[in-house]
Amino acid sequence: MNKRLELPKKSFWSPASALKYLVKKPVTIRVPKTYREASPRYRGFHVNDWDKCVGCGTCAEVCPTDAIHMVEFEEIPTEPGKRNWRPAIDYGRCSFCALCVDVCTTGSLQMTREYIHISRDPNTFFFVPNEKGIHSVEYPVGYERDEDSDLLDLDRVEMPVIEPQERVTSFIEMVRGYSKEQAIAEASRCVECELCRSACPAQMHIPQYIHQIWKDNLDEGLRYLYKTNPLPEVCGRVCTHKCETACSIGHRGEPVAIRWLKRYIADSVPLERYHEILDAKPVKPAGKSVGVIGSGPAGLSAAYYLVLMGYDVTIYEAKSRPGGVMRYGIPRYRLPDDVLDKDIAFIESLGVRFVMNTKVGVDITLSELKQRHDAIVLAVGFTKGRSTKVPGSDHPMVLQALPLLEKIRDYLRGDAPKPAVTDDVVVIGGGNVAMDIARSVARLQKQEYGKVSVKVACLESEKEMPADKEEIEEALEEGVEIHPTWGPRQFLVENGELKGVELKRCIRVFDEKGKFNPIYNENERKTLTASMVIEAIGQAPDYSLLPDEICQKLDFVGARLLTDEYGQTSIPWLFAAGDIVHGPDIIHAIEDGHRAAKGVDTFLTGGNANE
Amino acid sequence: MNLKELISELKNKYRVLDEKFNDPNHTFVSIVPDQLHAALGELKSYGWKHLSTISCVDWIDDNEFELVYHLWNWDSRSQISLKTRISRSNPHFPTIMHIFPTAKYYERDIHEFFGVEFDGNSEMEPLFLEFWDDIPPMRKDFDPLKYSREKFGERDYKVPFADFIVEEGDQK
Amino acid sequence: MKEFELFFGPNHPGMHGNFSVHLRVDGDTVVKAKPVPGFLHRGFEKLMERRLWIQNLALIPRICVPEPDINEMVYAMAVEKIAGIEVPEKAHWIRTLILELGRIAAHLFSIGGIGGATGLYTFPYWATADRDSVLDIFEHISGARIYHMYIIIGGVRKDLPEGIDSLIRETMDYLESRIPEYIDLVMKNRIIQTRLRGKLVLTREMCEEMCITGVGLRATGVDYDIRKYDPYAAYEWVDFDIPVGEDGDAFTRGYLKLLEIQQSIRIIRQVLDKMPKKGPVNVKLPGNALKWRIPPGEAYAHVESSRGEYGYYVVSTGETTPYRVHVRGASYPQGLYGIEKYLPGTRIEDVPLWLGTMDVCPPEIDR
Ligand SMILES: Cc1cc2nc3c(=O)[nH]c(=O)nc-3n(C[C@H](O)[C@H](O)[C@H](O)COP(=O)(O)OP(=O)(O)OC[C@H]3O[C@@H](n4cnc5c(N)ncnc54)[C@H](O)[C@@H]3O)c2cc1C
Ligand code: SF4
Ligand code: SF4
Ligand code: SF4
Repeated sequence: MNKRLELPKKSFWSPASALKYLVKKPVTIRVPKTYREASPRYRGFHVNDWDKCVGCGTCAEVCPTDAIHMVEFEEIPTEPGKRNWRPAIDYGRCSFCALCVDVCTTGSLQMTREYIHISRDPNTFFFVPNEKGIHSVEYPVGYERDEDSDLLDLDRVEMPVIEPQERVTSFIEMVRGYSKEQAIAEASRCVECELCRSACPAQMHIPQYIHQIWKDNLDEGLRYLYKTNPLPEVCGRVCTHKCETACSIGHRGEPVAIRWLKRYIADSVPLERYHEILDAKPVKPAGKSVGVIGSGPAGLSAAYYLVLMGYDVTIYEAKSRPGGVMRYGIPRYRLPDDVLDKDIAFIESLGVRFVMNTKVGVDITLSELKQRHDAIVLAVGFTKGRSTKVPGSDHPMVLQALPLLEKIRDYLRGDAPKPAVTDDVVVIGGGNVAMDIARSVARLQKQEYGKVSVKVACLESEKEMPADKEEIEEALEEGVEIHPTWGPRQFLVENGELKGVELKRCIRVFDEKGKFNPIYNENERKTLTASMVIEAIGQAPDYSLLPDEICQKLDFVGARLLTDEYGQTSIPWLFAAGDIVHGPDIIHAIEDGHRAAKGVDTFLTGGNANE
Repeated sequence: MNLKELISELKNKYRVLDEKFNDPNHTFVSIVPDQLHAALGELKSYGWKHLSTISCVDWIDDNEFELVYHLWNWDSRSQISLKTRISRSNPHFPTIMHIFPTAKYYERDIHEFFGVEFDGNSEMEPLFLEFWDDIPPMRKDFDPLKYSREKFGERDYKVPFADFIVEEGDQK
Repeated sequence: MKEFELFFGPNHPGMHGNFSVHLRVDGDTVVKAKPVPGFLHRGFEKLMERRLWIQNLALIPRICVPEPDINEMVYAMAVEKIAGIEVPEKAHWIRTLILELGRIAAHLFSIGGIGGATGLYTFPYWATADRDSVLDIFEHISGARIYHMYIIIGGVRKDLPEGIDSLIRETMDYLESRIPEYIDLVMKNRIIQTRLRGKLVLTREMCEEMCITGVGLRATGVDYDIRKYDPYAAYEWVDFDIPVGEDGDAFTRGYLKLLEIQQSIRIIRQVLDKMPKKGPVNVKLPGNALKWRIPPGEAYAHVESSRGEYGYYVVSTGETTPYRVHVRGASYPQGLYGIEKYLPGTRIEDVPLWLGTMDVCPPEIDR
């Protein structure tokens, strides 16, 4: 037990001790004569670096008092991932909590150590912070976000992938996909600012479907996907994901894994449930029919949206299987057949007819098709390879990437025998196709010879290489060598046998205007041994299906066809989509197909495509 | 006797519907409504003499109110929150003032904010809200934003913010 | 003599904040007292149900002006219990520091009020100025003087700033040197002794009946203090005493607060000595703060505030906002039931002293 508490006794004189304070320096200061500097962390009035701020509006979203309004400034230029909105603060509401500072995706928003604002005019309490601060007087910075106070989650949920040593032995898909927990965790990093949407060629409803993942409502998520994209399994794997470059989380951390999240939805919902969830059926039988040439993403997308509009749709495809580059180009370790089958099966189940092994221009003419259908959508892609045309390029061991990729995929499906690859291969080119063929060859070599010997030579420096960073990294991990800044001078042939590649130093790829215009130092050379060379320097279209009289009526821009916004060519019944119009990737092709479908509908109904 | 043992003893005597431990010394015990008073009295006699507060939760989807009696025992240093659910339509519950006199105001508070009547507690006039003219406001179906908009009107906040950037020299 | 009615407050200078007591008096003696709260009701509990877990950080400290940090603490504690979050060690120490600084500031404010109720105005001036030296520390640590918004779910918002150690130690030395002066000026003062000594006595039985905690209870001979009886933060790792009195009078209650300030200074010094220099100060929930979800569950968390048991009952249904938050204000029992039951019998001029030394705090009653 405590001992009894001694209480102070009454004393007459003790208060007099206060008297000594009469002569002491006061602890108070005189305001405003003396300005009291606030502490270094002070949460005073805001400043915002307008050059950094992207107008994502996350600050307004977190504000507990609703003090932030996003105001549009027309003079600020916009681009994908950047809006011309800036936060405006109502200091009548602001509680100076600084949650806005802690959440700011770019770090543009801060608080200063300025804390006095007195005015009779209530409107002066509305303020759009810029670099200058509320009174255009510079004050030291006060409260700043740091790692501890950060309210964003900057680190991606790591995607499980098969290790390089293991994956290079087979064509099994290397990216495993998110589990439900992982997907929800990744989805909870998104601030739903919508900045990514403007970077997506198809303007997919990204924040909406991410939100549905987060709420574990995948049915609704799938509905959002199909609003703009009938190939979510494909895009969830191999989309070029420009959206992620625009993602606001990417300013300070790793962008949200938008592509993997899309894949998660598509992977998680079984095909049998698609009909029930999407409730996709033609609005009304339109009584008209449309022919689509080519079953790549552009053709499939056009067919999907057309069939939903009630048209009778037939796809004509030269190959024995539908899918275009998705089926014959992109290697199987990135895009397995079964997921592509799933996307296509749904489109087919809606009533789209597929006429395979029918090359238009060979097996059937375009005018015959025109007789059968009311409109035609041309989506034939870029199917021809380009050659370097350097000496030796006509040697039989100098191959093109595209046909070889096709053979490999056919072989993996059991449609064709194993294509022969040698144990020493050089690939020419620095894009994704070069990486695809290099990595595919590496796998075949590993199976055949137990080791990898693939050398990639490209004009660009490592930084300039058009291939995705991750593709390059993964190729290196798998044992592919890369020789940047070298262009082929000649392929060395001795006694009819291919021996190697002589390279010359490329000192510049693009000119001042950014145009492809390489300059070489012819004197700096090196030689790579090779018993097989694969050229992967680009593809070209094959317009041989178009009769001359049609070709004459059409307008071309370089290799591409000129159309209006809705894919209509200068021949009213002929529409075009995909690589032959825009390129360079699947999602552009899908958007093209969607637009062409709207264009066809307008053409056939005489309505307005913008509706 | 530790808390776990005590709870299992309680379970022998009363119809305990659920129990949840936050940690060995903090627990929530759900009990049927008509045995709550007996259990409270018994716990009090064991040393749970301190009633921290009474909470009410509106489980609107179940059409029930939950009353939570938070008890603390200074000797055993442990918390038991006794919970019971009553119907949300015409909610009534007998007072516990005879066990814990201080409950008088907690019950009045709950009556005002949730609309639960406490039989035996005579003073039930409003304590906090003057001229209240709507359903008890802590009920889940009361929307304060809607109420304030209807009551006080929508404040127009369309301020042309950009015009109000204060120029140098106006202040300081 | 004829009884008449006297409205005490809501703006009476002797009253803490806006609160009213309707008195029936017979001469100078109170015969009936009716508490009339509600002037500071802002619907905090309802507002909390409609805000994200993180957004409530801006709201909760505002329930209590003199000691906002306890709100942040019990909110964080309750949520951490529900979600099973382990707070890093350093955060426990920093929280202890913050809570004790808050206790000092609140006690200074509160005992300064005794001077107000007795006409000894030097005391509130001193106490308010000294409290400001504590607010300076808060400003350096959190960026704000009053509403710190610093203790968050999972720990604290930021690490302590560089060099704060010496500022805190200097301030503690200064405050420690002031305590004898307060005792000289106030506690030994004839007026105070006459007005408070042996006055407004509440016995242990009365306190237990009302379920009162804090100095009110400790002035009656028990050492009940949640920091010791249900330890949280770093209180188990520091040495401190619980000052206890026997007389149960207003004087003892006031004096205990001064002694508690001394203990707080002692705790703060130990925190500075023992706290790990490195290490994380919080754990983050997954995702960004707009998407934080707390798993379904419930918890009642309480701390020892300057006025006694302060608690939050939090219910989560797994959403981004709390389903229910109930605030147990420390002075709720004495501020309502206590006034009604035990104010009668006192004299009019003692009413503010009763309310002051019993720490009746309207914002936490009204919420
Ligand atoms: C190796 C490689 C990898 C790629 N990787 C990616 C990637 O990861 N991500 C990405 O977004 N994009 C990638 N691309 C680009 C992408 O594949 C194309 O942009 C896209 O496939 C273009 O779609 P499309 O519908 O216009 O044409 P295609 O996919 O080329 O489809 C055209 C179809 O038309 C058929 N066809 C052609 N002529 C006729 C005819 N006369 N009669 C009948 N049918 C005909 C073809 O057989 C083919 O099936 C890659 C391209 C290549 C070559
Ligand atoms: S400081 Fe807090 S209240 Fe003020 S604008 Fe920022 S988020 Fe809103
Ligand atoms: S969060 Fe930051 S970047 Fe986004 S709008 Fe606000 S200030 Fe700009
Ligand atoms: S994915 Fe990124 S850019 Fe898109 S809404 Fe989410 S946070 Fe914003």
